[in-house]
Amino acid sequence: MAVVHCDGKTTKEINQEISELIAKGAKTIEVRSPSARHNLAVGLLQPVELLFKGSVGYYCGGMIDGARITVQGSAGWGLGECMMSGTVVVRGNAGNSAAASIRGGTVVIYGDAGARAGIAMKGGLLIIEGNCGAMAGFMMQKGTMIICGASGHGLADSMYEGTVFLGGEAASLGNDTKVCDPDEEERRFLKDMLSEHGIAAAHSFKKIVAGRRLWNFEKQEFELWKEVL
Amino acid sequence: MASGLCRRGPDSAGVALYGAAQENRFKLRVKLGEHGDLRAEGRKLADGLSKIARVIESETIAEYQRFVVEASCDPKLLEKGIEEIGPQYEVVSLGRSLEIIKQVGSPENLNASYPFRKFVGTHGIGHTRLSTESRVDLSHSQPFWAHGVPDLATVHNGHITNYHKLRRQYEQRGIRFYTENDSEIIGKYLAERLSEGMPLEEALKASLMDLDGSFCYLVATADRLAYVKDPFGFKPLLVVDTEDFVAIATEEVALRTWVDSRYEAREAGTSELQVWTLSETPVAVGV
Repeated sequence: MAVVHCDGKTTKEINQEISELIAKGAKTIEVRSPSARHNLAVGLLQPVELLFKGSVGYYCGGMIDGARITVQGSAGWGLGECMMSGTVVVRGNAGNSAAASIRGGTVVIYGDAGARAGIAMKGGLLIIEGNCGAMAGFMMQKGTMIICGASGHGLADSMYEGTVFLGGEAASLGNDTKVCDPDEEERRFLKDMLSEHGIAAAHSFKKIVAGRRLWNFEKQEFELWKEVL
Repeated sequence: MASGLCRRGPDSAGVALYGAAQENRFKLRVKLGEHGDLRAEGRKLADGLSKIARVIESETIAEYQRFVVEASCDPKLLEKGIEEIGPQYEVVSLGRSLEIIKQVGSPENLNASYPFRKFVGTHGIGHTRLSTESRVDLSHSQPFWAHGVPDLATVHNGHITNYHKLRRQYEQRGIRFYTENDSEIIGKYLAERLSEGMPLEEALKASLMDLDGSFCYLVATADRLAYVKDPFGFKPLLVVDTEDFVAIATEEVALRTWVDSRYEAREAGTSELQVWTLSETPVAVGV
């Protein structure tokens, strides 16, 4: 396994070293003492396996297409932002806007996520084993979010499409949400996804989708629109 | 920690440090000017101050005159007396334990001018500044002492958008502002709330409603330390809370300059605040 030591290096140097190793055909790379630096492993387009031994800063794994990234620590804001495909796994906590605008792939957070997790998701899967902050799934357009713990205020506000599964309680739901029970196929999907990532799912999940009342302007729903805008 | 954040704010750096309080003593740090040899200014100030207070220690250190005086007078009158000696004098900090040092430039430069790494104390808050709207000079740097209330200091990351409105109201009530930095308003706000008799925690809670815009701020007093995050969570704030110490910073990269990876960092939630009261536990902080 190839190893990158971060001590004394700039972010640019570390990313360059990772790129050079990939170009030379490395399939697995271990990155030691990242010390919560920002912008690590952004835009990787190869199916490489990356292991960060420590916390990472902002935008780790952003815009990747196919890479598999594991962080043995916590992550800052914008984890895996805009990724196309691949996997980003964080053993600790994540900051705000985890998996923002992802189009595909899977983001797994074993700890807690900050505010606006999965904001504007356009596909893919976000799994949070712990709790998440306010405004998770805000304006989500596609994809799936599984929150095993509790959620902060305004969960799934103004969603277009997509599905949020919530294991715990929400401090409050966002505008235009519809809560229902997952069907059998969805329950199987939840069980499979969680067991695939080694997460015990003893509890039941609620399913939250868009109420679709904000899709088109209706004069008789003016009060709802006033509230949203 | 401040060095870890320097990249974020290279304009100026500062720390508010809390050391052992001496009975019946105030520590003061007064700004003499922005740069140059200020020893003559310091002597002039020391002469003036000795007429209104019993001066125990007096020393010129770069841009500051540091005093230890007998705390037998009203701190507000003491500050007013200093301002009357000359308009160039600005009380940067006043308290029983608090000492603020701040300067244009990096934390490394600050430490070269005032070796704060050797300071022995219980807790502290620090700041590196990236100026967006107001001037870059010593006065506009953070931390800010909340004039009028000994030992109360704040650091802020963000933008208080109702600053001008609030400032007008405060000025109508006769409160003086020393800078055009919107962050200064947080100390003024808390000072007023506390002087109304509101407990610190309540004042912090009320600030979530009364201050607009984006903010994560830290507050320290002689025996308390707290953080507050705005209702939208516009700004980052990482917290490590352990049995042995508390460390808070804007970015984990600053924490990891000394906090071991065994200690987990957590992003503070929206509208979240927390207050610690000093026991025997040592505390370290920075924004």
